[in-house]
Amino acid sequence: MRTLIFILLVLAVCWFAADCARAAELHVPDNAVAGQPLTINAAGSGTLYLIGPGQMIKREFKSGSVDIKGEELRSAGRWIAIVKGDHQSQVFWVKPGKPANLSFLARPSRVPVARPNVISGVTFVFDKYQNMVIDSTPVSFKLSVGDAGSTKTVTSHAGVAWINSASAAKAGAAQFVASVGDTTVRRVVQQVAADPCKLQMHVAGRSGDRVTVETDPIRDCSGNPVPDGTIVTFIQTDKNGKSTVDARIKKDIARAELPASDNATITVAAGVVLGNELHVGGR
Amino acid sequence: MKLARIMVLTCGVVLAVSGAVPLLKRILADTKPAVQLTVQNAQPREVEDVTQKAILRDYTAAWQAISTALENNTLQPLNENFSGFALDKLTQRVKDQKQNGLSTRIIDRGHKVEAIFYSPDGAAIELKDTANIETQVLDGGTVIHSDQAQIHYYAVMTGAEDRWKVRVLESAAQ
Repeated sequence: MRTLIFILLVLAVCWFAADCARAAELHVPDNAVAGQPLTINAAGSGTLYLIGPGQMIKREFKSGSVDIKGEELRSAGRWIAIVKGDHQSQVFWVKPGKPANLSFLARPSRVPVARPNVISGVTFVFDKYQNMVIDSTPVSFKLSVGDAGSTKTVTSHAGVAWINSASAAKAGAAQFVASVGDTTVRRVVQQVAADPCKLQMHVAGRSGDRVTVETDPIRDCSGNPVPDGTIVTFIQTDKNGKSTVDARIKKDIARAELPASDNATITVAAGVVLGNELHVGGR
Repeated sequence: MKLARIMVLTCGVVLAVSGAVPLLKRILADTKPAVQLTVQNAQPREVEDVTQKAILRDYTAAWQAISTALENNTLQPLNENFSGFALDKLTQRVKDQKQNGLSTRIIDRGHKVEAIFYSPDGAAIELKDTANIETQVLDGGTVIHSDQAQIHYYAVMTGAEDRWKVRVLESAAQ
């Protein structure tokens, strides 16, 4: 019985020693970074395979170290180093490099002014070799129209940083910029006037059996001119019935010609906004 | 005479087992991996039920595609389930494997997936996956490396024409 235990113990010790020796034959540093050189120590000679998430590297080597260039080591994640024919292998990790690329999604591309939380910016942070940088990274978002603007810095979590922002009170092409270090990505969000704030019309003239009505300059509640092309509807009601004209805003003003009537009521509307009412009479 | 019978029977059993084992492995490889998805912690938008089902279906299909592509060194499964950086990287991996006569067998023992980000416009979702995976690297038919580990993955999926595709897939040490 004693002999048997002794033999088993010796076997266990030998196994452990062999394992330690084998582990020492292939050594990969545990601080590898994508894009940076890597030195792997391997005893004996043979073929070394490095199998990564998005690539494979093959090296013939003789006893000593195997140098991998920075530009060769592109994929971050879980790698396996294998010495062919020697049954040696080791798992190691490669971390992403410094943030160098941003994938920036800005929505929407066109938005009314002065609305809360209507613009969203989502940024995924990548290194030079398109590995997502999982570690927290400060990402700066800047939204500006002309000289006015606001900047907010958000720390990325698991590679993503995002903000919601209000649109500015001033219409125009807003520059939406996301930046990490020296890397900057720009998007344009067109901020357009919101609905008209006040719709006021007047009679602009008469000629024969026609009457011309036109609005005052149409602006939203922030004072931005409502874009040309926006439809304004004029409705005339008299004893003959109803006449409707859809006119487009041109240079801030909408104009319509209506049939002259003895006693008519004219109303004006744009979208959900109603304007004033006019009573006209006499040919 | 009896000894001869036993010998023949033993040979038959060995033959049957040797044929059945690779077949069983192939069947297991083609089986969809078990994926559990939770979406309660997704920010800033809540994941809709329909989206949750679609993500579960398509992320499962993506892992099945990885297994098939890396074992058989074929690109077609990848093209159907991946896009962007993830597709570029996995394509390169398959090409490199093929060039060097290697293949990788993934024995997928399941994924616990959590949606951690869902974009305000509903166009992109990020998942954190804790996967139990056995990886075997084969040179021809010989296994030259085998390990089993719990691996953390981060995946970004975006909506494509008829499904969600994996755009980023990255493993991270934790």
